[in-house]
Amino acid sequence: MIKHWWKALGVVLVLYTIIFGFLGEVPRQPILNETIRNTYFHVTMWFGMIILMVASLVYSIKYLRTEESRSDLKAKELAISGFFLASLGLVTGSIWARFTWGAFWVNDAKLNGTAVTILIYLAYFVLRGSVDDPQKKARIAAVYNIFAFVMMFVFIGILPRMTDSLHPGNGGNPAFGAYDMDNKMRMVFYPAVVGWTLIAVWITDIKIRFHRLQKNNNEKYS
Amino acid sequence: MFKEVLEVFKLNYKLEWRKRQSFLSVLLYVLTCTYLAFLVNNQKITPETWNALYWIILIFAAIQAAFRSFQNEADRRFLLYFGMIKPRVLMLGKTLYNFFYLFVIGLFSLLVFSFLLGNVVNDIGAFILLLFVASAGFSAILTFVAGIAAKTGDNPALPAILSIPLLYPQILAVSRTSVRAITGFSWEVNAPMLLVLFLLSLVSLLLSYLLFAYLWRD
Repeated sequence: MIKHWWKALGVVLVLYTIIFGFLGEVPRQPILNETIRNTYFHVTMWFGMIILMVASLVYSIKYLRTEESRSDLKAKELAISGFFLASLGLVTGSIWARFTWGAFWVNDAKLNGTAVTILIYLAYFVLRGSVDDPQKKARIAAVYNIFAFVMMFVFIGILPRMTDSLHPGNGGNPAFGAYDMDNKMRMVFYPAVVGWTLIAVWITDIKIRFHRLQKNNNEKYS
Repeated sequence: MFKEVLEVFKLNYKLEWRKRQSFLSVLLYVLTCTYLAFLVNNQKITPETWNALYWIILIFAAIQAAFRSFQNEADRRFLLYFGMIKPRVLMLGKTLYNFFYLFVIGLFSLLVFSFLLGNVVNDIGAFILLLFVASAGFSAILTFVAGIAAKTGDNPALPAILSIPLLYPQILAVSRTSVRAITGFSWEVNAPMLLVLFLLSLVSLLLSYLLFAYLWRD
């Protein structure tokens, strides 16, 4: 049981996010109104995605150093889970944009960053699919993953600060910490980041174990 | 090492010269695409549209060009490379070669665009400088991706899928800046953007330099 405490923590934190996210006090802001609650879902999922992508990057680097197929499997599954969180973040963000900015998709530096992230990781999966030899696949994928992560980071971390954005915290807008989050919101926000990340890691963990069992099984019966 | 890089560069240049039609075909590609843009756009073109079309056509031509730099190599020549030089030398030589190649294609596109779609560029010096810096960054990324694509067998869509998202930061930065070179360029205002572009190219070059050795081990 001791080994599994973090899974329970993830469940508790996500439940906490959902309950307090919908029922808790939030500041009244013009235009945003009640949609400010989406901060607990949209923004936190993106934070979780970044954490998973960093983990995927670390395993890709590890693969290049050690050539262990375990690291490659982890890098791949973490990227898939991160991509899953990114998709959820995209959907929630799109709905939010519809109600605050009036359209599902607007030309904004952060949204372009989203598109780049999605396209880069889709390309990563296509690349994985188009090489047959497992070792070659692992190496090429690891190399691309590292390159892709740096470019994504440049795009979502540096370029938005050079141009105007509708998002808070860029282009002359105050940072969102000072902007619309009071201490009550932070009480939900940070646990939510941890909660989504833990749940995604759990999903990843199950998939990695499944793949290992499948591999063992194949070796046994073939 | 510098000598070896130059040798790779020269070798690629010689091979290219021997197969002139492939270089000419890229130029023809630019010409036909630009004429397509001219046909589709039968009104007077705005500087913004001019700029957008220019970079889109240049990117696709660049992908065509850079992708061939590995595709054209026969399998046996790779063996020769393995025995003769370090992978990083090969990568630097190819990048240098692709850089000149892209720059020439860019200048040619500029010429064709000015001829067909109107000479709208106000500050031609600034535009060419931007083209120069962008070619450096593009060539680093495209050489790297061409190296990957050469290892994956033939999926014709792969070079574009892999490289275009990686090029987005640079395309965004360069197209935002070059539109100012068209309408009127101020060095003071655009100096930070030029610096960003330069750093982006440097980061791309550094990354592909570091990662190429892993890619090339078989």
